[in-house]
Amino acid sequence: MNAIIDAYEISRFMEEKNVLLVFTGEFDHRIISVLLKNIKGKLNPDDITGNTVKRVYHVLVESIENIGRHATQDKTANSQSIFMVCRDDSKYTVISGNPILNSNIPALKEKLDKVMNLSLEELKQMYRDQIQSGKTTENGAGLGIIDIAIKTGNSIQYDFFPLTNETSFYQFQTEISI
Amino acid sequence: MDSLIISPTEDSPEVKFTTTSNRFVISGESRPENASKFYTPVIEWIKKFEDVLYWRKNERGDKSQIIFEFKLDYFNSTSAKYILDIIFSVKKLVEQGYNVKIEWHYDKRDDDMLDAGTEFSEMVELPFEFIPH
Repeated sequence: MNAIIDAYEISRFMEEKNVLLVFTGEFDHRIISVLLKNIKGKLNPDDITGNTVKRVYHVLVESIENIGRHATQDKTANSQSIFMVCRDDSKYTVISGNPILNSNIPALKEKLDKVMNLSLEELKQMYRDQIQSGKTTENGAGLGIIDIAIKTGNSIQYDFFPLTNETSFYQFQTEISI
Repeated sequence: MDSLIISPTEDSPEVKFTTTSNRFVISGESRPENASKFYTPVIEWIKKFEDVLYWRKNERGDKSQIIFEFKLDYFNSTSAKYILDIIFSVKKLVEQGYNVKIEWHYDKRDDDMLDAGTEFSEMVELPFEFIPH
């Protein structure tokens, strides 16, 4: 058989990286709900504490909704977006990736860098300032990234890979210790 | 004034604001597709409820305590903004001299939900009653 893609390779990768869930495609509200329902069943409360389960779920929702937000803003090849959750003995890793317009990168990068350099106390203050500032749009209250940073002990990592002259691929990753 | 009753869905909470009751409940999971559309009527309802409280107090001498009960499993960051608005609306009723309080119910394993309630309470400067389950 001349398989274009080696399914065995993919399944081995999934097993090696302990991938609980991976999805690529369009992230609309309905799909997000289906994915969250699926992953909720896989978060096992028997071997991790109740608070960790809630915390992982919280970070999952914010991360996956971020993809949806970028998709609404950009409309560029939303189908290339990816969401992945892995687990090993010490942590959950949540990875999202989506195309983004290059013109939107500077503002996003500035926000991410600012958040990543703050202590937990400073993050909480930033959250308070932001939630009370009244700057809410349907694309979110601007709280998502701050919230993720607080809940993950500021474990955010990100990168941008050039796709075309106008677009790049935005990868965003966080970890939650078990 | 009509009661405001909203059935729960997988992404939005149950709202049980029965005008004749003394206990108003918001419970469940909150990450609605359109948070503004979902929460605006809730916030408007609380503002209008002041008239009912005025009537109860001044026409009927009824000063029974009113409780707003938050019993949320999860809310996303967009909902947080609207929950804060709801709490501010409740605070206004307290400032008008009505006997109103907030109960913040949470899963006792969920430290983050307790923290979230504590944050809201401090931001609005209104003491909550915290009730673990």
